[in-house]
Amino acid sequence: MTQFVLRRVLQGLFSILGASLIIFVITRLSGDPVVLMLPPEAPEALVQQMRERLGLHLPVWQQYLVFLGDALTGDFGTSYRWDMPVRDLIFERLPATIYLASAALAFSLVLSIPFGVISAVRRGSWFDRFAKTVAMLGQAMPNFWVGLLLILVFSIHLEWMPAFGADTPAHVIMPAIALGWYPVAAQTRIVRSAMLDVLESDYIRMGRSVGVPEGVLVWKYAFRNAAVPLVTMMGVYFASMLGGAFVVEVVFAWPGLGRTVVEALFARDFPVVQAGVLFAAIMFVIANLLVDLSYGLIDPRIRHDR
Amino acid sequence: MSRIRLGASAVALSCVILGGVSAPALAEQSGRINVALGAESTTMDPARYSAGVDQYYVGTMFEMLLKPMPDGTIANWLAESWSIDETNPDKPIIDVHIRPGVTFHNGDPLTAADFEFSYQRQSDPNVSRWSHYQSNVERFEIVDDLHFRLHFKQPDSSYVANYLQLWAMPKDYFQEVGDEAFGRHPIGTGPWKFVSRRVKEELLLEAHDDYWNEEHRPEAKELRIRIIPEDLTRVAALQTGEVDWIDAVPPAMLEDIKSLDGIATATMPAGNHLFLDMDTIPEGPLQNVKVRQAIAHGVDMDAIIESVLFGQGQRYAQVAEGATGYNPDLEPYDYDPAKAMQLLAEAGYPQGFDIDCYNLITPREPNIKEMGEAMFAYLGTIGVRCKVVNMEYGAWINLGRRDEQTEQLNGGLISWMWGQGVPGDPAIAWGGHLHSYEPGKGWGSYSHVDDPEFDRMIEDAAKIMEPEARTAALREIGARKHELVLGGLTTYQPLVTMAWNDAKVSYTPWPYPGFWRNFQEIGLKSAD
Repeated sequence: MTQFVLRRVLQGLFSILGASLIIFVITRLSGDPVVLMLPPEAPEALVQQMRERLGLHLPVWQQYLVFLGDALTGDFGTSYRWDMPVRDLIFERLPATIYLASAALAFSLVLSIPFGVISAVRRGSWFDRFAKTVAMLGQAMPNFWVGLLLILVFSIHLEWMPAFGADTPAHVIMPAIALGWYPVAAQTRIVRSAMLDVLESDYIRMGRSVGVPEGVLVWKYAFRNAAVPLVTMMGVYFASMLGGAFVVEVVFAWPGLGRTVVEALFARDFPVVQAGVLFAAIMFVIANLLVDLSYGLIDPRIRHDR
Repeated sequence: MSRIRLGASAVALSCVILGGVSAPALAEQSGRINVALGAESTTMDPARYSAGVDQYYVGTMFEMLLKPMPDGTIANWLAESWSIDETNPDKPIIDVHIRPGVTFHNGDPLTAADFEFSYQRQSDPNVSRWSHYQSNVERFEIVDDLHFRLHFKQPDSSYVANYLQLWAMPKDYFQEVGDEAFGRHPIGTGPWKFVSRRVKEELLLEAHDDYWNEEHRPEAKELRIRIIPEDLTRVAALQTGEVDWIDAVPPAMLEDIKSLDGIATATMPAGNHLFLDMDTIPEGPLQNVKVRQAIAHGVDMDAIIESVLFGQGQRYAQVAEGATGYNPDLEPYDYDPAKAMQLLAEAGYPQGFDIDCYNLITPREPNIKEMGEAMFAYLGTIGVRCKVVNMEYGAWINLGRRDEQTEQLNGGLISWMWGQGVPGDPAIAWGGHLHSYEPGKGWGSYSHVDDPEFDRMIEDAAKIMEPEARTAALREIGARKHELVLGGLTTYQPLVTMAWNDAKVSYTPWPYPGFWRNFQEIGLKSAD
């Protein structure tokens, strides 16, 4: 088990290093940030002076080594645009993004687990069709549109929900729905098909024949075995929500990391983009590692030290 | 010797007030006002600001020596009086008397030493991105606590045009707390004082009790500025009552907003000036003045503004009304496709020609992509057949920049913009896109024109500090630019609409982009 974890951590470190190198090179290919920082009439001498101050006059490989060296000590530089330490900018935003992604994931599971399980148990029923429809709607509608629709209905017309911000627990509800509805369809399908397989297996039939109550059979024995692919998918979706919540964050003025990084991308604020991508990569690696480790807990037959 | 005493010079105002505007008539500061802005300042330190958006926050807490007023005049603000001493016309001196009795938010009195400190910070390229604006100042002389002089190496017209440039920053407080702490907790002389900030969320301000200007001051106790980048959400927040005031109502929603009960609006021209730039450097059709004039007659800007911008734009001819150098005799080119085709034929292009047309798609202004597409489509009808290339902001600005390292326009057209400000002054913009490119000197950094006569006229105008002479010089440049359609075909200024809850909020719009979000005069009609 320890060997497995060490191997995965090492692989993860290589992935993070690779992501940091790719984003570092891509940002440099996007153009000169100084042109966007200084007023258009700024003399060339000032432009050059600014490039030197930011270290942009150095060869790219040298800039990368400086970045890596500083990053290892926890220094991600100063934002070109915000003139403040990137670490502060990222860490101040990260909790809001994790909070939103967690709430969105919870929402998606609250829908997809009962949808998938009940659809499998009552295959072809009205509930099966209803669940499919609700799930497919989430996948068919862009999340910014869902967000605006929620604001229109629940904030403006019904006046039940706040339209923007992150001040109270109520503020997370609509952004979580807008972000978490999309994966419901895929998760429901995964749960449903896994449940259909498991429900046909011998041990379930055996359980039924010895009189184990149907609820216990379905939720305790069948669902546990059907959960492994769902957990895999959850990990991937959670990680992509952390990095991909930009649109929802903008719609609901949610003070998260995605909005910060995308705005930085447009402003060629290299240090913020680099740090943001680095953190997203770390989150992906951690989420996948946790998913791998959780397999053993869900299904004791899976052992990583074999 | 000429010594010119300048008071509040009248400047015509280009402002359209569409909604009910309430005069503040409140006796005491009370209650909190919640406002929402679409964009956020990146800094609260006036010496570090990099773009117009930064003035949203800086201008609430800090002040300058002069200020444009709602009635269109330029008032002496922190300057009680000022003058230009041109005893030696090559080395003028600006002499400033500071208004007595002004205090910073911490109670420190404003003195000449504070302005000297501001000058030092604003001229330091390691601090300010606009340090070149101070490059013509040779030295700062303190005469006494409330009196200082700026000695210039050479005349600098932009210094006067930009309200004497200097922001009042507290020297003692800054030296006590340091650079970083000053940026986190700024202190100025402005009507609002800093309480707290959460980046990307909100800025909380409190009224400055000892504010010096009794006539123009906020009448609310607290101001909470929320950041809502999405237009529709910002409008929804006003509708639900979560905020009392919003900026930048999207053009497509303006009619809906205006039809709501209890909502007042004010529409004002933005400081940005848009134009269709033409690359006249390489051999090609655009070198011919008749082709450029044909293009000017070939686009129905009024129709485009009405249909694409829902009327949220106003045309201008070189310089907007109210700005220095405005010439009432110049009218925007009228739409006349027959004349356009005749001009093309006279220029030797009876069948028209193909051309690259570069279009900005990043929404720096509302519907900018569609505006460019509509203009290029109109040109197709007169025979100027555009191959439209859509570009995001970073690539677009690279392409427009005259730099050995960047790709050039190749004799094409590009939708472009350069803020002249409001009330406005075109000198810096023209120095950038009308003067020939001169590497290292800051001239023509985005210019696709090579005309020695314009170079001479622009350089001469840059040295004229006396307003009337300067206006005359700029008018002359504008008239020639208009006739030759060089340095771009001027198209429109975007209009920006603010909306607020009229039943609750009393708000006086200060119709200048740098000041309309400073909330100089805002209050609650009934305290919460």
